[in-house]
This record gives sequence, structure tokens and C-alpha cells, in this order.
Amino acid sequence: MPVGPTTVGAAMPRRKRRAGQGEARAGVLFALPWMLGLTIFTAIPLLLTFFIAQSKFQITGPPKWVGMQNYEAIFADPAFWTSAGNTFMFAVISVPLKLVLALGLALLLNRVTALSGFYRTVFYLPFLMPAVAGSIVFILLLNPSAGPVNLMLEGMGLHPPDWLRDPRAALWTLILLNLWPLGVETLVFLGGLQNIPKDVSEAADLDSPKGWHKLVWITIPLITPMILFNLVIGIIYSFQIFAQALVIGGTTGKPAEATLMYMVVLYRLAFRYFNMGQAAAMAVVLFLVVLLLTLLIFRTARSWVYYEGDSR
Amino acid sequence: MSHKTHAAPGTISRRGLLAASAAAGAVMALPQGALAQAEGQLLLWLPGGSDLFCKIHTGLLDGFSKGANLGPATTVCGLGQDTEFTQALIGSITAGAPPDISMLWDSPVSLGAQGAFMPLDDMMKGSKIPLETWPAGLLSSCQFKGVTYGLPVTAGVYAMWYNEEMLEARGVKSDRASFPKTWVEMRKMSKEFTVWDGDNLKSAGFMPNRIPETMAIWSALNGGMLFDEANLKYALDSEQNIEMMNFFLEWLDEEYKGDVNLIDRSGNFREGYADGATGVGPAFREGRQAGLMSGSWLMGDIYADPVPTFTRWNQAPNPVGPSGSAPVSGTWPNWFVIPIGSKNPQAAFDYLAYLAVEGSVEWYQQIPDVPTNSQVQLKAPTSLVERRGQEFADDLTAFLATQAAVVTPMWNSPSQSFGNDQMARAMEKIFTHASPVKEALADAQTAAQAELERVLAG
Repeated sequence: MPVGPTTVGAAMPRRKRRAGQGEARAGVLFALPWMLGLTIFTAIPLLLTFFIAQSKFQITGPPKWVGMQNYEAIFADPAFWTSAGNTFMFAVISVPLKLVLALGLALLLNRVTALSGFYRTVFYLPFLMPAVAGSIVFILLLNPSAGPVNLMLEGMGLHPPDWLRDPRAALWTLILLNLWPLGVETLVFLGGLQNIPKDVSEAADLDSPKGWHKLVWITIPLITPMILFNLVIGIIYSFQIFAQALVIGGTTGKPAEATLMYMVVLYRLAFRYFNMGQAAAMAVVLFLVVLLLTLLIFRTARSWVYYEGDSR
Repeated sequence: MSHKTHAAPGTISRRGLLAASAAAGAVMALPQGALAQAEGQLLLWLPGGSDLFCKIHTGLLDGFSKGANLGPATTVCGLGQDTEFTQALIGSITAGAPPDISMLWDSPVSLGAQGAFMPLDDMMKGSKIPLETWPAGLLSSCQFKGVTYGLPVTAGVYAMWYNEEMLEARGVKSDRASFPKTWVEMRKMSKEFTVWDGDNLKSAGFMPNRIPETMAIWSALNGGMLFDEANLKYALDSEQNIEMMNFFLEWLDEEYKGDVNLIDRSGNFREGYADGATGVGPAFREGRQAGLMSGSWLMGDIYADPVPTFTRWNQAPNPVGPSGSAPVSGTWPNWFVIPIGSKNPQAAFDYLAYLAVEGSVEWYQQIPDVPTNSQVQLKAPTSLVERRGQEFADDLTAFLATQAAVVTPMWNSPSQSFGNDQMARAMEKIFTHASPVKEALADAQTAAQAELERVLAG
């Protein structure tokens, strides 16, 4: 006779079944605050955003349905395309750069034996600093006339750029600023590196004395799940860059819109121009783009991410 | 103090952002009663400002509430400038728990047109502050389609500030009557003070204007306007404005190596305050700049850090552009509004009437934001009397009153911030030689007009 869950349930003594129901109830109760939070602060606003995106929404009074007008308006707005282009450039450059640097740092930290805890803490610390405070520190460091970075570069006989005022340099400054808090990515990679079985690592050492052989053929394939994780999180984060861009470029993306990021345009539409409908439409577009990119990465991940126990 | 920084036009300063973050935290930590005020207890919100600014307003509101037998009032100070304050205010209105009264440092027209503030016209009729007691140019900054959404209770009045000692050191007459009457004269005089040390601007006379908020004044000085309120049309690319920007650009090229970045590296030559983003000091107060256009609020701050390297300064009427005919002034008002959903609208209006006539006198004496209602009898600010003597303080107060009478309409577009940002964008393109004047202004005009029409469509 096949033993299914129903059959087992039916054969279960009543006391045990009550205990199970009690546990389930307790579980639901424990999860309830989180579920309520998710519903109230994420699910409902998400659904409302789709609705507002198709409405003309005044501060007072009910929204008026305008169909796709808000989408048409944002696609016709040059600021939308400028900010989308800047954000895309930012993501394309900063995400891979950050992954490479974080991996390099993790490889170094993986070798350190003495004071390893100290170094990990030190590299994680920038992540704990608020984005606004970090941006201000960078503004002071990169001040063209009195900042230590330019003073040092000038001392070396170089001609440093005007990091924050030169339109050709400003986006790179933002990317540089984004590279600074590497702690999370580094720790994720470090976790992966420390999970590589010792026998695999030793066998690789025996097979080839060249370090980069081991890195390319053993280490990197074994930490591809961490690369996938950091890649997805990095892309989501980089498309949502806001605080640093706002501090450096304000709502106009100074200089010459070089730091005008997608989220800044969205923010100024909502809270400077009071155009909630178009701001919501921009949010929906961003949501769909990030969703598509994430799905695409997961789709391709099947061919390049290695999970232990995979038959491939 | 209530100074408005121009350091980052259309943007947010780092100090402002930090203050906003702190203020947002403070608002979240407020007791429930402070956010949703009960009937008979007035709640006032203020944007940025110093401790003194907060103290003055707290005292004025408390005094009024006691005198009117209202319950204990609450003043919430330092909620942040610009967008972050608006964000908090919109949130409170849509949540149905707004303050009874709010000060604004941005025109109430945009939000008023969206139904966020109570129309005041009915309450003004028969009150002690009827429409006719306000200068029309100033009140237009609160009106849209004939409806008044706020009151410009006090205002920073713009005039040309100059360092008398610096002028005299170069043998230039420093009395008000001798101050340049035209842009051409000002530009000629400016040359006397321009000293470059390599790429470092050591000292300067006057500067082409780079502050978008004051561009309406410069445009009016050249016989133009940025926004035609009567016909609901932007005029950013009018002939007068093209001429104005060409004048500024030529001046920049001729006297300042055509490079605004070199100027900004050398100091803050745009306004009388340290640069909000980089912390670079104000050249005027450092005695490195002969003069600049500034709001009267600088009188309250000029002796604060950095303390000026000179004692004697003065103010003169704004000079006229090539196509202009008469000097005009402009203002950056401290607007007051009664948000929709206020629990005490009549008491809130009564407080505004009190503030506009009696309260603003005390306010001006401590912080020189000029009262604008015609019934106010001005007395010179105490701090100015202490520093410069009664005669100078009285003279300057009388001068500011004459300037307040010739203000040009500004802050009156229902899409004010958008228009301002477009102007800022055009100016940046022009001053960095990224785009010809005509083209940059035409682009700004097209965008500003399209947004205006969207807003007007309702």
C-alpha cells in the first residue's frame, strides 16, 4: 500500500496531530509580523506603484487614470535617457570592477593567518558608514585645490583631474566612490574560498606549480555561486545608486548631467516636480529592467555556475 | 538665521542633507501629539535655520497662543531645506496629519496649484492683512489663477553688496550714489580688482551671475522676464535673456579666463557663504571680492564665521543691463502656508496675521529678514545697530524698504522648480562652453514650457 502524507496523517494519533497543529499555528504567529511587514511595506506599495504609474496623481484628491501617458512622457524626456545611459555605464563599469577587486582582496585575506579577523573587520567597516557621510569624505579628499588626493598627485608631478567638476571625470569619481565599500562582496568571496576542500586545493598545487592555473581552473569555478550572488546583488544595487549621486551631483546631476542617475531623476520627479505618476512609471521601468537582467543572469548561470554535487 | 544658500542651485547641499537626515530622525522620534495636532493647539513646521531662528519662532508662536487662549503650541524646527522638507510636508498632508502652519523656502504656487494648501483669500477679506496690504510683486509669488496660497511674511531683499574698504583702497568712491548704475559700468569697475596668480583667482571685483534663483532679477534688470505670468508662458530664450547671457559669457571670457572651474577652485565668488558642497570660503567675506548680489539675510550672518576681514560694507541698487531701463530688486521670501487638513485653520490664519504685522518686527530686529506687509513700521536690526551704529542701520533699513518696493515678480510659476532646473542646466552649458547661448536657452525654454503645459492641464 502506498504511504502518502494523507495516509500518515490519518494514522497519526489525535494528540500528536493537535501538537502539530499547535506548532504550525505558532509558526504562523512567529512569521506574522514579517508577513505583515512584507504585505504593508512591500507588496501593497509595489502594487500601488503600478497603479499610480498609470495615473495623474495630485497631492490631494484621488488619482486620475491616464493609461500609458506617463510612460510616453518619460520616454520622451531627455533626462530619462541621459540618466539611463549614465546608470548603465555606471553598472557596466562598476559591477565587474568591484567583483574583481573584491575577489583579489578575498584571495589576499585568505592567505593572511595573523590578524585575519582584524583585516576582515577593517575591510568591512566602510560598508557600515552611511553613504552620505562616505560621499562627503570623498568630496573633501578629492577637492581640487586643497584635497589630499590632488595634492599628492601634484606632488608626484601629475596633473590630476577636477574630480567633481569635470564632466569627463565625474562619473568615474562616482564609480571610485562605489568601489570603496568592498566589505560585503569580499566576505562572501572569502566564505567561498574557505569552503574549497583542502584536498582539492592540494591536488591542484601538485598538478601545477603555477598559481594562476589553480585560480582559473580550480578556485574560480568552485566559487561561481558566490560570483553569481555578488553579480546579481551588484547589478540590483548599481541600478539603484542614489545617495552618492545626489550628494555629488544634486538633483541636476552636476557637472553637465554627468552624475545624473536614474534614481535621482525619479526622486526629483516625485519630490521636486511633484509628478508622482511619471516617477512611478520610472520605478516600474526600473523594476522590469532589473527583473529581466536578473532572470537573464539566472538563465545563463546554468552554464557557468558550479554547485557541489552537480552531475554536470 | 534664515539664510538660503545658493551654493548648489536646484540641488542639495551636504550640510542640508545631513540636517535633513537628522531632522527626519527627529520627526520620527517626536511624540504622537506633535505630528497630529489637536484642535486649539497650533503646530508650526520650519525648514532649516539656526537655533536663534528656531527660538524666535517658538517664542512668537507661544506668545500668540497664550494671548489667544489657545492650548500649548508646538514649533518643529530645522526640518531641512529644499526637497527633503517638501517631502516631509507632502507626506504629512497625504497622511492627513499636517502642521497647522508651515514656513516654506520655495514658492507655494506649485504645491498650492495641486491642492496642498488652503486658499487664503476668503480669510484675508476683512482681516487685518487684506490683499491690498501686500506688495503685488511679492504676493504674486503665492498666487495662481487669482488664488492666494500663502503669504510672503518676510523676505530677503536682493541688492548689490560691496566692500567699502576695498573700493577705497583702489581709489574708487564708496558711497551708494557713486555705485555703478549699469552692468557696463560694473564690469569696467570690476576689472580694477581682478588679480590672477597663475590659475588662482586671488581677488575679483564682481562676477557674472551664476545663481539660477536670482536670474529672474537679472533678466528684469535687462528689461526681460523668465516667466510671463499674465500669459502663462516661459520666456527663457527671449532676446533680452540671450543678450544677458552673452554679456555674462563675454565677461567671463574676458576677465576670468572663460573657466568657471578656475573661479570655483579659487574660492566661493558666487555668494557670501562658504560653498555648501566643498566648504570653500566666501571670497566676499574674505576681502577678496569687491561686491556681489546677495539677499538681506547676509546682514545676520556677515559677522559670523568666517568673520569678514573688513568692517565697512554697504548696499546699493542693482545696476541695469543694456536693454533695461530702471533698477529692480528681487526677493527670496519666507512663505507661510496653511496645509490642507490643518486642524486649526482660522487660528493658523490669525497667527499669520499677527506674524505679518507685529511678529515680523521682532523677527527683523534679531534676524534681518525684511517684513513685507505695508503696515509694518520697521526698526533697524539690533545686531546691526551694535556693529555699525544707529545711523547706518536706519539708513540701510530705509534702503531695503525702497528695494522691497521695486521687486520684480519671481517665484510665480506653477512649475517653478522645473523651470529653475532648466535655467540651471542652460547656465551650466553656457558657462562651460558646452552649448551656444541661443541653443541652451531654447532647449531650456522648450522643456520648461512643456512641463508648464502639463501642470496647467490639471
